[in-house]
Amino acid sequence: MINNLFKKIANGIEIHTIRTKLIISFLLIALLPMLFFGLLSFNIYRGEINNRIAAYSQEMVKRMRRDLEDYIIEIEQFLARDQDFYINQFIKLTQVNDFRNNRKYSFRIWEDFNNLKQMKPGLRDIAITFQDGRRISSYGLYNIDIKKFKKNLVKGEENELYFLPPHRNYFQQEVVSFVRPYFPEIAAENVLISADIDLNFLANLTDFQLGEKSFFFIADQQGNIIYHPDKNKIGSKSVLFAGGFSNRKLTLNGEKYLLTSTFSRLAGWYIISMASADEVEAELNYLTDITIYLTLFILLIIILLTTYLSSALSQPIKKLQELTHRASENDLSVKIDIKGNDEIAQLGQSFNKMISRINDLMEQNVKEQKLLRRLEMESLDNQIKPHFIYNTLDLIIGLLESKNFDRATQMVEALGKFFRLSLSHGKEMVLIRNEINHVKNYLYIQQFRHGEEYEYIVDVEDIAVLDKHIPKLILQPLVENAIYHGLLPAEKKGLVIIKAYLNNGFIYFKIIDNGIGISAAMTAEINAILQGEIQVKEAKKYFGLRNVNRRLKLIYGNSSGLSIESVSGEKTIATIKIDLEGGN
Amino acid sequence: MIKLSEKYKFSLIINFIMIFILLSFNFNSVLAADSNLAIDNKKLTIAFVPRSLDNPIFLDAFEKSQQQAVQLGIKLEWVSSFTYDAEKQISIIKSLIKQQVDGMIVSVNNTPDYIEVINQAVAAGIPVATFDADAPDSKRLFHIGIDNYKAGQATARGLLKVLRQEGIDYQGQAKKLQMMIMTGVRGALNLDSRIAGFSDTIADSNIVLSDIVENQDNVNLSVELLEQYLQKNPQIDIIFFAGGWPFYVPAEALPNFQKWAAEGGIAVGIDIFYDALLLEQRGLLKYLVGQDMSAMGSRGLLALYNYLIEGEKPPEYIETGLEIADKNNLKQLLQTHQPWRVK
Repeated sequence: MINNLFKKIANGIEIHTIRTKLIISFLLIALLPMLFFGLLSFNIYRGEINNRIAAYSQEMVKRMRRDLEDYIIEIEQFLARDQDFYINQFIKLTQVNDFRNNRKYSFRIWEDFNNLKQMKPGLRDIAITFQDGRRISSYGLYNIDIKKFKKNLVKGEENELYFLPPHRNYFQQEVVSFVRPYFPEIAAENVLISADIDLNFLANLTDFQLGEKSFFFIADQQGNIIYHPDKNKIGSKSVLFAGGFSNRKLTLNGEKYLLTSTFSRLAGWYIISMASADEVEAELNYLTDITIYLTLFILLIIILLTTYLSSALSQPIKKLQELTHRASENDLSVKIDIKGNDEIAQLGQSFNKMISRINDLMEQNVKEQKLLRRLEMESLDNQIKPHFIYNTLDLIIGLLESKNFDRATQMVEALGKFFRLSLSHGKEMVLIRNEINHVKNYLYIQQFRHGEEYEYIVDVEDIAVLDKHIPKLILQPLVENAIYHGLLPAEKKGLVIIKAYLNNGFIYFKIIDNGIGISAAMTAEINAILQGEIQVKEAKKYFGLRNVNRRLKLIYGNSSGLSIESVSGEKTIATIKIDLEGGN
Repeated sequence: MIKLSEKYKFSLIINFIMIFILLSFNFNSVLAADSNLAIDNKKLTIAFVPRSLDNPIFLDAFEKSQQQAVQLGIKLEWVSSFTYDAEKQISIIKSLIKQQVDGMIVSVNNTPDYIEVINQAVAAGIPVATFDADAPDSKRLFHIGIDNYKAGQATARGLLKVLRQEGIDYQGQAKKLQMMIMTGVRGALNLDSRIAGFSDTIADSNIVLSDIVENQDNVNLSVELLEQYLQKNPQIDIIFFAGGWPFYVPAEALPNFQKWAAEGGIAVGIDIFYDALLLEQRGLLKYLVGQDMSAMGSRGLLALYNYLIEGEKPPEYIETGLEIADKNNLKQLLQTHQPWRVK
């Protein structure tokens, strides 16, 4: 069933045609290397892109760590004040509730902290917090829940920098806080200096182009999320934490990601990049699309070129095939319109020559056939001479009158066979056996007519000759000549010998008479005429000889024919040579 | 045993029920009053929201409110943006609502945004008072400050007095006296009232208003605008400062103003503080009318405290009175007012 379907498809697209074969060949030749090298290049490039993406992700998190640490160092420098006079004064006066003298320090601190806030992007507030929760910041004087504040503080790995995880500060800003203790020289109580950093600013310190699905987050050493684009996750423990965040490929909520992380010792934070595999592969998909579109485009170009080239090549062949087919259907009027000089054009020229030659041959053949028919008819006309018929019939009458019925019957029978064989049902070629019998009938009749003045002998040396075919009525004219021009003028007992034999692929007939012979000059003339060396002006001259000779040559070619030998006053030998391999 | 009649028994039960209902009603009322007003003063937090932190005019109120808070045993908060920014100030008031402070005393404008946020606080059960600048269209509990219209009138009267002393004709119509007014923002009720009182008082004089300059309640901008204005308009005769924004800088920072005053320009204004007095001493300002910011801090806090703790409803308007600074009392005032800047 599948084979049938395949065959139908193959037949449908005419896969057997040269054009289709050319198209397929060209396509295979053009596409296979292209596809091979295209796929090879694509895979190499794909691998390279994957490597670069991994390196880019690693570089990205490292840069984020550097940017983050640089920022934290700057913030730490803000916080690490060595005995600030104004702060010390403020702390001292606050502790003794000297508001009158303290107000100028309050103002100074507000001004300083506000200036710092203006200078440092992302810095939302700077504050000094007393142990009882009183706080002065760039926003004024207020109170916080100091127990909760201290409880949430996480000590950093280095120095005395503390970190307060993401929270909303007093003014409802989403911040993370860095905190350092401050020990004023002039007061017993230490205070805390803190900086509130905008969480989103911190997260976007490094400007990276992440896709819609890709993201990064920050987590502390326990895996607690400090920053995450999904705000609900901030503060919770990351499900990806396993004692750390090792670089790996993973699936999260049905999405594939490439996790890349780095750890900041200064902040005590992990910075984790989650590059969406889909988006990572978007470039690859883009590349794939480009490759596919390019391949399709090239394929289209190749198909068009292939179709054009194959058409250009196959069209003359197809035309040639059509004309050949017409020629095979006997339309020999076809002719190829030749353009160019390539092999196909040469083939066309040869075809035209061949058709022209066939036409010539056909014409020649027709002519020859017409000539042959004419010669045959002439031979027949020549044979059925009224005089011969009347005399023979008179003889038969005489035999009847003399009541020699047996002989009359034999004569009638011989005459009937003579004419039946002469006609041979209109056949051009007859068995030699029949031609011999025909001559025998003729000789039998003539012998009786001429008072049995001569004898005849038919000698077939090779019996196999009898079953060969020869043109009819080629022996009788020669026998007739032997009788009328050789034996009858001679005043002696005549003899006609008819020999037939094979020799070297030739059939030979020799009609020999012991008549008056022919002069050497005449023999030469006759042979010259028979060889076509001399043209005969009189139609009747040597008509019988020329007719036989011509028919033989027409049928068997020039290697066949008739020749005469004679010894004047002694004998004449007419030799028929038939080349069985010659002629048509 | 005394046998009570059925009728008496029924009457007694009814009386008991009535007494119980009445007692229950009174007891619930007391509970309600306590829950609204009688807040445990250990937890009491009252926040002041001045217009900005950078305006030293509020420092007197800051100082006195802190002292008062210590005396009352409550927590005081003093929060605002450093420079005036209406949006930020409103955002801070919203933060205080979230922090569930017990009361707020704010200096605001009588504009829809401020009115809305004050009403939000009141709706959240936080009583809000205003000081310095009022928002009477809001549901604020009370306002403490001066009668700004009267302050404007007092300043105008002082101006006319100075003009008389300087021998400048302010009534003759032959020559008009050109005047510029510097204010914070139009729409601030306190400032608009001061300008109205001032304008009404000089209505019969030959003083005509040339320009009103708005400094967006910004000290630095006020200095810049003043200097630019005098650069372009040195011919101006009189300047009325509806507030003391440019008085916080030393005279050396106001060269055009110095030059203009030296050439006979008369400047009067509202707000008295140490730096303003120094400018008056240098002759740059001729007459000042001040508001008692200390009283706004201490009395305002006390009034709100009493409302919260005692349930004592304050009057809707608390007048803190005006203070005059002219050459007669300048020396004395320089001794009582403190410099605010750290030297």
